[in-house]
Amino acid sequence: MAGASNAGNRRRRSRAPAGGATGAGNDDAEEHHLNPFLDAAPSTSSRIQFRDVASRARWVEEAGAAEVVEGKGKLWLTTGVTRGGKLCYNVEEIGFLVERGAMILLSDKDETIGIEGIYEKIAGGKYGCSWDAFQAYKHLKSLGYIVGRYGVPWTLKNSGVVHTDQSFNKVDGTCSDRTKSLKEMHIDRLSPSFEVYVPNSKFKKSSPGAPNFLLCVLRNKPFLRVELERLENNFGGIPLKYCHVDHGRVSFLSFDEVALPSLP
Amino acid sequence: MMDLPGPRWKKGKDAKDFAAVAAAKPMSRIVAKLQASLKDSEAMAILSGDGGDAILAIGRKQAKLLNRAAFGRHIENAGEEERQWFQLRPEEVFFLCHALKCISVQSENKKQMDEAQLWDLFTSTSEPFPEMYKAYQHLRLKNWVVKSGLQYGADFVAYRHHPALVHSEFAVIIVPEGKEFGSRCGRLQVWSDLLCALRASGSVAKTLLVLTISTKGCDLASSDCLGQLIVHERAITRWIPQQCREQHDKPQREEANGDVQIQKPCSEDASKEEREETREGVAFSYWGVILSFTILSSLLVYKLKF
Repeated sequence: MAGASNAGNRRRRSRAPAGGATGAGNDDAEEHHLNPFLDAAPSTSSRIQFRDVASRARWVEEAGAAEVVEGKGKLWLTTGVTRGGKLCYNVEEIGFLVERGAMILLSDKDETIGIEGIYEKIAGGKYGCSWDAFQAYKHLKSLGYIVGRYGVPWTLKNSGVVHTDQSFNKVDGTCSDRTKSLKEMHIDRLSPSFEVYVPNSKFKKSSPGAPNFLLCVLRNKPFLRVELERLENNFGGIPLKYCHVDHGRVSFLSFDEVALPSLP
Repeated sequence: MMDLPGPRWKKGKDAKDFAAVAAAKPMSRIVAKLQASLKDSEAMAILSGDGGDAILAIGRKQAKLLNRAAFGRHIENAGEEERQWFQLRPEEVFFLCHALKCISVQSENKKQMDEAQLWDLFTSTSEPFPEMYKAYQHLRLKNWVVKSGLQYGADFVAYRHHPALVHSEFAVIIVPEGKEFGSRCGRLQVWSDLLCALRASGSVAKTLLVLTISTKGCDLASSDCLGQLIVHERAITRWIPQQCREQHDKPQREEANGDVQIQKPCSEDASKEEREETREGVAFSYWGVILSFTILSSLLVYKLKF
């Protein structure tokens, strides 16, 4: 899906008017509105849930995450984290996968949790992801980016050897360590929300490498120099990007320090 | 630190761009000559009554230099032959007076104004004058040309040399920081303003440059505060995930002169390059096979014939 949209964008780019009349490459040049006044019933989203190709995962309340019981397809290669051999998805990942019909979420009683239940979990903010951050997550995932929660390792061994400085509650050794991780996602300017990798078919959770950038989801005051500087000093040269979510529309920005040269 | 986009030089009648002209006549030298010439001629600017622009009458030689240094705006004046009239904005007046010390200033009722009085006048007329002037001086001292950015919804626009030679690269917005600046209605306090500024600058192919002016504590009532004001430079750019690149000040077309459009290649693009390389590799081995076959069959024919 990401490939198709990129191909479309490349075609659009080659047809761009030479005079740059569209303005400097607006990322949202045209608002596309589905016309609700047409008589013919518009074709609904083609995301029909094919139950036989959907993965199944069970919600684990103590972990605030879902444990995969039956994996299908290839999305898992770049989604979810591995804990002691088990694949776990957090709420934004669950939301993304279920919306696409790629996963069915089950309760501990093996009943299907519908999308409204998933939206409740996200919007409630108790599981470490806000509605805004979910929009940003989806936007990037749909374009093929690899997105993980900042500071959450992609894989962890079950043995209790932990490569972070957090102490995890090893109740069942699998997804429980995510409870600590949940508190770490900040949906404000003080810390990045996500670590992002550009689309990469060779991405490996076992050795992901450094992310291409960290994403901070901003809400309030757009631009505060002092906080930007404080943030930047903490992340070892990994670029920071910022996004603002307005009613589902995500704008991505960089606030890079520059040094205008002294001219001759 | 961000890589800045490069300059877009304008082209002369010979279709060659003006980069060479600018290189041959660096702005620092032009300004130095202007400074000396204005000092020599004891140039005097006359303030307008409302504390806004000032008027300067100078000779031809000074006018040529003032034009080249891109200060002020020439006033067409049919009657005058020897004297050229210019209009200077407050930042320019103060820069020539305080930084270059090459003009004196008179009020509209012929009273000589010293620096302190000028500062008083300009700050009382325009509350943001301290930070506006600090930013103006900061850029000018780096030899950038600074003009009004109002028509682009910005405070200034900055050029790498004279506006006739080069397009302006930056739309500059000044953001004061600290309680010394009082209850100013600063820019970029809300998202609609920031995104508006970004869109406005992008639509005229400029990078949005934000100059934050901070201070460790000083009294803005005196121009002595200038030494205590610190300028922080940041560029705000839109990032386009669909294209995996920064949107800089270029419209979406390839620039023939190979101007920089900073592309951080997506891995998708990288893997596309890989695929193309592989195709080339396959092609070479294809021709290798054909060649070998040709050689072998020629040898065979040769052998059979003889």
